[in-house]
Amino acid sequence: MTGPFEDERCGLRSASVVNGGLELVLNNTLKAIEDGRRRVVDFLAGQALGDVVRNRLEVVFEELVSNTIRHGFARDSDQSIHVRVEPRPGLVEFTFEDDGIPFNPLEAKPPQPLTSIETATIGGMGIPLVARFSSQLSYERPAPRGGQPGFAPSNRLIVAIPT
Amino acid sequence: MEMRHDNVGEVRRVVLTGRLDTAGVDVVETRFGAAIVPNGKDTIVDLSEVTFLASMGIRMLIATTRALSRKGGKLVMYGAGPGVMDVIETTALTEIIPLAGSESEALGLVG
Repeated sequence: MTGPFEDERCGLRSASVVNGGLELVLNNTLKAIEDGRRRVVDFLAGQALGDVVRNRLEVVFEELVSNTIRHGFARDSDQSIHVRVEPRPGLVEFTFEDDGIPFNPLEAKPPQPLTSIETATIGGMGIPLVARFSSQLSYERPAPRGGQPGFAPSNRLIVAIPT
Repeated sequence: MEMRHDNVGEVRRVVLTGRLDTAGVDVVETRFGAAIVPNGKDTIVDLSEVTFLASMGIRMLIATTRALSRKGGKLVMYGAGPGVMDVIETTALTEIIPLAGSESEALGLVG
């Protein structure tokens, strides 16, 4: 049995800069988190961002890519995540699209507030972290492509992180 | 992700180094629990060399602290840098796991 990071596939299927934004296509492997993160960090290196903001951007990327691969995709499938990263005045906008199980994170039940170690929910912190770090979070379910070939996203999430 | 541990008197000290992200937790979680839980000693966890913390790391800290608590031990974190502190504060993790500024303060909290 192989561990979750022993998949032989590279995490990054493609990366390009289009109209001032970074566009990544990530494979269905947990390696995609680190492979994609490095590209995002490199792309944003020239931006005047504070360390805490850079950290928040990495947290948002990590949580959303990890969630999709661990919960939204069938194991070993050829599904993918398309990410666009676009710096804008006062914010960085991420657009995540994937062809996994339809899931609206805005409808996810938030974990109970942490009040005692015995009753604390273990897990479920990722989406709340994304929500707290973003100034805008919107979800849509793209229209079906009517059987046309190519990537057919079933989820689109747009996240704006103030800088 | 790396981890080392020793004892400061009767207190277990664990030093984590690297990124507590999905990949880092996958590497260190079993060793982290094994170093802390079985003997039930009060434990301080040095986060000063942790460069990134995400929800998987939060999950690991809560699960280990709970297991230790059931053996009668306390866990206190210390030394978090700004990015790690931002995540800790945002999740209100300090409501259930104390966070100290320094090792001596952490030792005072478990003592």
